[in-house]
Amino acid sequence: MSIAIQVWDLPLRLFHWLLALAVLSAVITGEIGGALIDWHGRIGVLILGLLVFRLIWGFVGSAHARFTNFFPTPAKINAYLKGQWKGHGHNPLGALSVIALLGVLATLVGAGLFANDDIAFQGPLFSLVSKSVSDKLSSLHAFGFNVLAALLVLHIAAIVFYARVKKHNLVRPMLTGKKHVPKDQAIEVSNIGVHRLVLALAIAGVVAWGVSSGVQYLTPAKAAPSAVQSW
Amino acid sequence: MKFKLALALVIASANTAAIAGQAEDQQVKFRQSAYSFAAWNCSKIKNQVVEHPETFNKDQVIAAANSIAAVANSGLGALYGPGTDQATGWKKSRLKPEFFDKHDEVVKVATAFNKEANELQKVAATGDIGAIKTQFGKLGETCKSCHDSFRVKDADAK
Repeated sequence: MSIAIQVWDLPLRLFHWLLALAVLSAVITGEIGGALIDWHGRIGVLILGLLVFRLIWGFVGSAHARFTNFFPTPAKINAYLKGQWKGHGHNPLGALSVIALLGVLATLVGAGLFANDDIAFQGPLFSLVSKSVSDKLSSLHAFGFNVLAALLVLHIAAIVFYARVKKHNLVRPMLTGKKHVPKDQAIEVSNIGVHRLVLALAIAGVVAWGVSSGVQYLTPAKAAPSAVQSW
Repeated sequence: MKFKLALALVIASANTAAIAGQAEDQQVKFRQSAYSFAAWNCSKIKNQVVEHPETFNKDQVIAAANSIAAVANSGLGALYGPGTDQATGWKKSRLKPEFFDKHDEVVKVATAFNKEANELQKVAATGDIGAIKTQFGKLGETCKSCHDSFRVKDADAK
């Protein structure tokens, strides 16, 4: 007898698919460059907002969204590898992947904010560091992309592996939020008040806005165009 | 005796290398300067056409586009002599060594840059902000294609 339980809350699912879409768009615009590099920068700020939201949601979201719920300790990983893990959210190996992906994305976004392309693009926080530091962070941004690509391949390969070999569909729960589990393992997941969602979104929005636009108020000299001389 | 001869040869070759290195360093310095100057002019166009079109000043944008075209048409290829991938101008060159093995591809990206820079000069003269913006994007793509192919990604790799 199996029963459907709520495993991923709606904000978490929206976060996941928006992030997937944003990362794909960032890759495409970053690879093409030219006029699209400005969109690459804007999408980067969106990803920053999404990551801040996810960080907060990891503390105030519903049970399976919380870091304390899925943080992969060696004991948990060991139990999972022996087939003794009994949870419903991210399994301990999946949790490693989640943390690695979020960490690499945070590094890419963080470095990208200070980056420049030596053409006509500078990240929104470029003026806060020296050119040589910006160059270093630009290199880190470029290198980090390879790590992200490798993790994404692993992410998708794992989903295919679970679907084909373990006959376990991981995509549907990320769409519907529901997962079928044996009745005796069912747990009640309480809903999260909307005020927490509003608060998390507000903080994420303020951080993203502050980084993309607010920083100009920290460096007023840069914002004012220099006077044009007649010579 | 043999040792002294060997020592003399080592010193002589080191000297030659130092002198040859100076010419290469100079080429790198000139080309870094040329691209920096082009980048300054690109930033002016970006500012007045893309970021703050309300500040668009036709004469300034034309002057900037003319400057970029002048850099592109100045014969920059002469500054890519053999060994300049190892030389230091204002800072160490980030030119990839394989630049010297891929002649056809180099000509392709270099010609593309020249073509789009000349086109930008023409479009700037019309004063059509939308058209300048589009052409400026095309120019940026040619910068990027050369960076992707022939510039070491790691700013500190050398």
